[in-house]
Amino acid sequence: MRLTAQQKRTIQFIPIFNGAPLKLDTEYYTAKDTILIETLKFYLSEIQFCKDNVVLDRLEKKYHLLDLMHPTSLILKHKSKNDFSSIRFKIGVDSTTNVSGAFGEDLDPTNGMYWTWQSGFINFKLEGRSRQSPARQHRFQLHIGGYKAPFNTLQEVELKTSKKKIILSIDIENLLTDVGLTERYEVMSPSENAVSIARYIAHNIKLKQR
Amino acid sequence: MKQRLLFLLPVLALLSFSIYSSNTIDYPDYFPNPYYNFGNNVLDTTKIELGRILFYDPILSKDSSISCASCHSPYNAFAHTDHDLSHGIRDQIGTRNAPALFNLAWQKEFMWDGAINHLDVQALAPISHPKEMGEEISSVVRKLNDSKEYRRLFYLAYRDSMVTGEHLLKALSQFQLTLISAQSKYDEVKQGRSSFSNQEKNGYQLFQKHCNSCHREPLFSSYEFSNNGLPVDTNLLDFGKWQVSKQSQDSLLFKIPSLRNLSYSLPYMHDGRFRRLTEVINHYTNGITKHPTLAKELQSPIVLNSNEKNDLIAFLLTLNDKKFVFEPKHQFPKNKIP
Repeated sequence: MRLTAQQKRTIQFIPIFNGAPLKLDTEYYTAKDTILIETLKFYLSEIQFCKDNVVLDRLEKKYHLLDLMHPTSLILKHKSKNDFSSIRFKIGVDSTTNVSGAFGEDLDPTNGMYWTWQSGFINFKLEGRSRQSPARQHRFQLHIGGYKAPFNTLQEVELKTSKKKIILSIDIENLLTDVGLTERYEVMSPSENAVSIARYIAHNIKLKQR
Repeated sequence: MKQRLLFLLPVLALLSFSIYSSNTIDYPDYFPNPYYNFGNNVLDTTKIELGRILFYDPILSKDSSISCASCHSPYNAFAHTDHDLSHGIRDQIGTRNAPALFNLAWQKEFMWDGAINHLDVQALAPISHPKEMGEEISSVVRKLNDSKEYRRLFYLAYRDSMVTGEHLLKALSQFQLTLISAQSKYDEVKQGRSSFSNQEKNGYQLFQKHCNSCHREPLFSSYEFSNNGLPVDTNLLDFGKWQVSKQSQDSLLFKIPSLRNLSYSLPYMHDGRFRRLTEVINHYTNGITKHPTLAKELQSPIVLNSNEKNDLIAFLLTLNDKKFVFEPKHQFPKNKIP
């Protein structure tokens, strides 16, 4: 009998603001703005490890709800015996699941990540306050979702790495600069704005080099 | 032996026409296959009963004043009689007429504008709408978890006493899936157990000529979306499916309702603007408003003389399903609301 060593892997997501891990309910002062983040939650799904464009293995659980309010949700564990050269994942919930009714656990509609007036998951939720937002109390609410063309917001990301401990970062400060809170401070339905913000989200996800 | 089997036949016939057996719904052989995927929510009598209790319990609303049945009453084929637009908590009036609920397993999209893509998530909309139940699904689940009796009922149904959003929604679907209307006079004629009068027969022919392409037999709807030429109500400014898709080709498209149970489910149209069937028919013969998205079937006017209109209505009345409307299994679960 041949034993193959199983390697432990971890995938950790660290939201960043001003070069350091983002803290909720904390005021950040930038050159042009004062920003406070109240909510950051999103779906990380279909995580796969690949080599030469071939999927070698994947996380058994398909959908992970990452919520900065619950830091343990930001760390995922996996065991595998395969070497790999890249990690692939999606931000959001795919269209088949979006049209297949009610689900439990991470997809349960009580998690606040499902629209009620129109069917569909919210793939990415970011809420807070910014002096740039013209809304009441300078609030902004970005609820990014939409699974149907032309407003499909699901994003696929592939990053090259062979590390056993993968740290992914998403720079929220850069993301909000890309979004432009003076104009886009309430995006809460499938729309062109939602699609463009979904692309910014994917662009701001990077491997953290140590 | 043969005699014994013959003796069993009527019993078997009765069994085959029960509205649902333990894990499937029963429907006539001239119905198409249901659209709903029962594999993901296998019917079960305990879950159906739990769904029925939830359907009639105002605990789903913010101030415990409104249940699903408040706007979907069994005696109105699960529509809301007397109300063109339905009202929710604190007597707030919405913008649309509560649709009748039956034969839901054959429907792909819900609401007049198709905003809901699956029966299992439909209940989220009225629960959360500020003018309907004005509640959050997470607090409904909390309230149910606080109830010893509901925890018991969820345990009986799911072998898990912890109430979840998924189980709550799927139980509501289970009850609603059993609301099958297939026992009207039309159905009896189809099954060779009754026959149409001459007037009904004539009305049936007119129906097939003028109405059947959208209100397709035997469900009496294709459940597609269409612009039926109603002028826009300038107070409501409701553009139907456009409000969901934001695509110009969807402007003024509304879900085509079934013509079954019309005598129970008045008033008619998405905003309940017509109270009489004659008004509805007169709309189709004389009231069509031209619009770029108007249904192709309505481009040239439907011509009917007054006798023909009466005949058509006589046929439409054969689609009333009294047995469905008075079915005890669908009604308020007496002494059972926790």
